[in-house]
Amino acid sequence: MGRGALSGMFLIDAPLTARREVARGMFVISMHAPEIATAVRAGQFVNLGWSGGPLLRRPFSVYRVEGEHIEIVLKAVGAGTAELLTMQRGERLSCVGPLGHGYDFASRARSAVLISGGLGVAPMPLAARDARAAGLRVVWVHGARRAEELCHEADGDEVIWATDDGSLGTRGTAVSVAPDAEVVLACGPNRMLGAVAERWPDAQVAVETYMGCGTGVCLGCAVPLRRGGYDRACKEGPVYRAADVDWTALPSHLSYAVTV
Amino acid sequence: MSVAVGTMQMRGPVLAASGTFGYGTEVPLLERRALGGMVSKGIFLRPREGTTPPRIAETPSGMLNAIGLQGPGADALVRDYAPQWAGWDFPVLVNINGESASEYGELTARLDGVPGIAGFEINISCPNVEQGGLYFGNDPRAAAAVTEAVRRRTKLPLWVKLTPMVSDIGVIARAVESAGADALCAINTFVGMSIDLNAFKPRLSFRTGGLSGPAIRPLAVHLAHQAARAVRIPVLGIGGITRAEDALEFLVAGCTAVQVGTATFVNPNAIADVHDGIAAFLEGRGFKSLADLPRYLPRD
Repeated sequence: MGRGALSGMFLIDAPLTARREVARGMFVISMHAPEIATAVRAGQFVNLGWSGGPLLRRPFSVYRVEGEHIEIVLKAVGAGTAELLTMQRGERLSCVGPLGHGYDFASRARSAVLISGGLGVAPMPLAARDARAAGLRVVWVHGARRAEELCHEADGDEVIWATDDGSLGTRGTAVSVAPDAEVVLACGPNRMLGAVAERWPDAQVAVETYMGCGTGVCLGCAVPLRRGGYDRACKEGPVYRAADVDWTALPSHLSYAVTV
Repeated sequence: MSVAVGTMQMRGPVLAASGTFGYGTEVPLLERRALGGMVSKGIFLRPREGTTPPRIAETPSGMLNAIGLQGPGADALVRDYAPQWAGWDFPVLVNINGESASEYGELTARLDGVPGIAGFEINISCPNVEQGGLYFGNDPRAAAAVTEAVRRRTKLPLWVKLTPMVSDIGVIARAVESAGADALCAINTFVGMSIDLNAFKPRLSFRTGGLSGPAIRPLAVHLAHQAARAVRIPVLGIGGITRAEDALEFLVAGCTAVQVGTATFVNPNAIADVHDGIAAFLEGRGFKSLADLPRYLPRD
């Protein structure tokens, strides 16, 4: 089970400190959240709320840690994320985290491949950091539909790009161009993760679900399991062994309905 | 700020509502000093898997949920959770569910007398499988039958959580009062639906879900008020409470205590904030205790 998944959970009023664009329409925002910056591990997430925002918090993987700051990556996919992207430096976000069970790194392994599609890049910089700390060589594989949608920030000993239209890197999906490695980590649309599960049953994949509370009580983020039943993306997940998830029963894509 | 709901003494009027606080073991941030009591996640006699996802959808100022009462069943509750509750300094009531009156009774018999269980909250928003799947909560005779079946098997405090999906909540309220309920909880979620305009189908796999959150608050205040006017037993108000002022509306409308639910998802300290806000309001307005708060409760 996760390392300190809930033992060190914080509620922080975090000022937004910076924003940068890393692909067309894809932004990284930073906030000052010292306790979370110290505690967070790759694959864990934070649940963000803000004054005047939608009712429910919005969950985001932690993208990078920079000193006392944490970063998340987002696109305006719905009303909540659109609002977040209009916020100015100094405005405050209510930040709960770190949450969930992240990636585990086997101590005996020597190599890791980090495979991401689109916004699935979100947990990968932290995964690269933690993989290196565990003594792994990191191959970074990132794919998108076309060149301008690729996140241009990469962090690997080797970097491989893939685009559906071949406009940058290899034509194809991130999964199809990725080499094998002892440790396979992936994040992206659930459909992509289903393909990861076929090729590497032992891969660790971070799934995306709708989420209510983020702390394990509401059971809204149910992930269907191959052995039957469900568990919670916010607590046992969001990282799963790929072959453990019943991919046919997990919604393959989330529609972000306007909620205001 | 202490309050009595029937024979149950609580240190404060703000409780955690069923389904929004798990079994009380999950949320580490809550300041528990403020917690008057807790109603556990709804339980059936046997384990339940719950519904396929998506299970939740956000709506304007609210959320729809169709969790399907996922739970480990009575034996696991007795083994894993009740022993922890026995050591806590606030009462834990178990929200009980069944598909027939006899199943409610059997579940009560299994849980009655287990250390850590201070009382029961009957969820009557379950389909009555024996009588064609209609909800117990819509039919005064079925609601009374369930209440009697539970009452026969326990002397512990017995609360009945009413559904708002009725034409006259007073009729159901009086029926379960006569059947032996010690208090009423008003109200459970409203049934709602939201449509995904990309997929041209409901956003929840179960099609419908229970609507909670601030969106339902004025509806809930009205129904809790109607229930309180209809009976002599205490009423606990529930529905979209996020701030002290919301809770005070229910109290002035005739409720003895309140339950906070969805707000806890958003603010892990919501219960403490509501509790402290009520205390500040009483002090600010010069009321010595909750009992001094003026009530608007003309009897029918």
